[in-house]
Amino acid sequence: MLLGLVLLVLALLGAPLFAVIAAGALLSFVMIDPELGIAVPIEFFSLAEMPILLAIPLFTLAGYILSESQAPGRLVRLTTALLGWLPGGLAIVCIAACAFFTAFTGASGVTIIALGAILYPALQQSGSPDRYNLGLVTAGGSLGLLFAPSLPLILYGVVAEESIDELFIAGILPGMLMLLALSAHALWVNRANRVPLAHFSGRAVLMALRESVWELPLPVVVLGGIYSGYFAVSEAAAITVLYVGLVEVLIRREIPLARLPGILRESMVLVGGILLILGASLASTNFIIDMEVPQKLVAIVTDVVDSRTGFLLMLLLFLLVLGAFLDIFSALVLVVPLILPVAAEFGVDPVHLGIVFLAAMQLGYLTPPVGLNLFIASYRFNQPIISVYLATFPFLMILLFTVVIITFWPDLSLMLLR
Amino acid sequence: MSGLLESAEKLGRGLENLALGLLLLGMIGLATTQIVLREFGLGTLASADEAVRLMVLWIAMIAGIAAAREDRHITINVLSRFMGPRLRAASSAFIHLFTALVCIALAWFGWRMVQLAAEGGDTLLGGAAAWPLQAIIPVAFLLMGWRYLLWTGRQLAVLRKPAVAKG
Repeated sequence: MLLGLVLLVLALLGAPLFAVIAAGALLSFVMIDPELGIAVPIEFFSLAEMPILLAIPLFTLAGYILSESQAPGRLVRLTTALLGWLPGGLAIVCIAACAFFTAFTGASGVTIIALGAILYPALQQSGSPDRYNLGLVTAGGSLGLLFAPSLPLILYGVVAEESIDELFIAGILPGMLMLLALSAHALWVNRANRVPLAHFSGRAVLMALRESVWELPLPVVVLGGIYSGYFAVSEAAAITVLYVGLVEVLIRREIPLARLPGILRESMVLVGGILLILGASLASTNFIIDMEVPQKLVAIVTDVVDSRTGFLLMLLLFLLVLGAFLDIFSALVLVVPLILPVAAEFGVDPVHLGIVFLAAMQLGYLTPPVGLNLFIASYRFNQPIISVYLATFPFLMILLFTVVIITFWPDLSLMLLR
Repeated sequence: MSGLLESAEKLGRGLENLALGLLLLGMIGLATTQIVLREFGLGTLASADEAVRLMVLWIAMIAGIAAAREDRHITINVLSRFMGPRLRAASSAFIHLFTALVCIALAWFGWRMVQLAAEGGDTLLGGAAAWPLQAIIPVAFLLMGWRYLLWTGRQLAVLRKPAVAKG
């Protein structure tokens, strides 16, 4: 108990989470027998026994290459040609483009940096209220987290040992619900702003399609390849990064070769951070299972709640608090092994649990005190953090409403799987 | 002296980038080769899948060293926002020292693991000795420990600066 408290304080003071988790695991094993400390590096080595982990560095690298190329600009031009005629069309362009982009970049803050720079000034010019624009680009940074091949979806599959193919399908409708809710809000906010961004023109759409001709096959390559059975998720990642690299570096030549080492390093720093936390948590999870903590947790929770609805409500509240403090990757590897058996006791489908988990954690990007998007937006758009909090609040409420629906309507996640 | 340190820094960064680049290229190459061979009915390369999985481990560890060099491992860091500059530097020195000690402990136990694998004659990749492939774990944690000791020193230097100015 005391050890847990000390480690919590160290984590809150800013110690790297992998070190905090590894320290907890090391001390727990060493207190039983000093020789048992060896179990922690052995668990790190088990990172080399999970075939799916290959997808994490490769999809991350593909996302970083895309964000450094001119692809974000092309994506905005294409969505503008398709949706710009709607009142509030640019806001909807922003929502769609952010969702597409985040699915590939894994909600690591890259979306705000890559797309925000293009969309925020454009939104300001389009006549949307300024506070709305700031809130939208901030909230947009983590939209699309439920769409394939987002990194958190893959990591949930790894930790929960669930089919990643099924998770990719299960995320589609809940993700669409979030986009629809934000689009409806965009139309409402811009109801007085009747001037369309652009008139619909088949010619403009064709030109934008032609411009994006190399990027458009990407979702088809990833999803088509996986679901047609041509390749596994990790192989799809290898194909994606090879394709993106060839297109953006060799064919379009938008990324000079000299910039590649920097991009590669940037993306791998994130990957190293995630995988070391995963390695440390494999060790701590093993200790926790040896100590029968999940069984004790099941007993405690079944004492407090006696229905699935009650459990889901408690889970949602817990995840919202958790998301405010812990980033999504750490939360996934630390908390999922603990709540899986409890959820199973209440008959919650593990795939639905994953979607609820990620949807609720997505809100964590927007909640003080540690919401990543809030700080990136404050820095990127040179706005005081308090303005970003206030601007993002309506979006947080709308997304919270959708998360409640996703939580209590399991079929929304599961119907496409049946 | 500072020129020497700068050169060492540059060399270390360059080696990390080179290793990460080669490993990524290897992973992409092997994974796509496997797909092509399979789709053309030519079977698959023996041990290629295992090699790719080992490369993921090596990437994780080398990227961990790179993240430690830039002090960019994932943190929560809620409390330091409410601290003054001196208290923040003191707390930062403390948590960097803590991280360095954890890394060194992990390196030590990692070394024990490698020793046991060498003594037991463990093999990977269809017969190759396992211990050189496992050795990345203690080596990487040792380097991370070193990086975090340097960060501790930097924070202590920040703490000492005003005192020197007053004296």
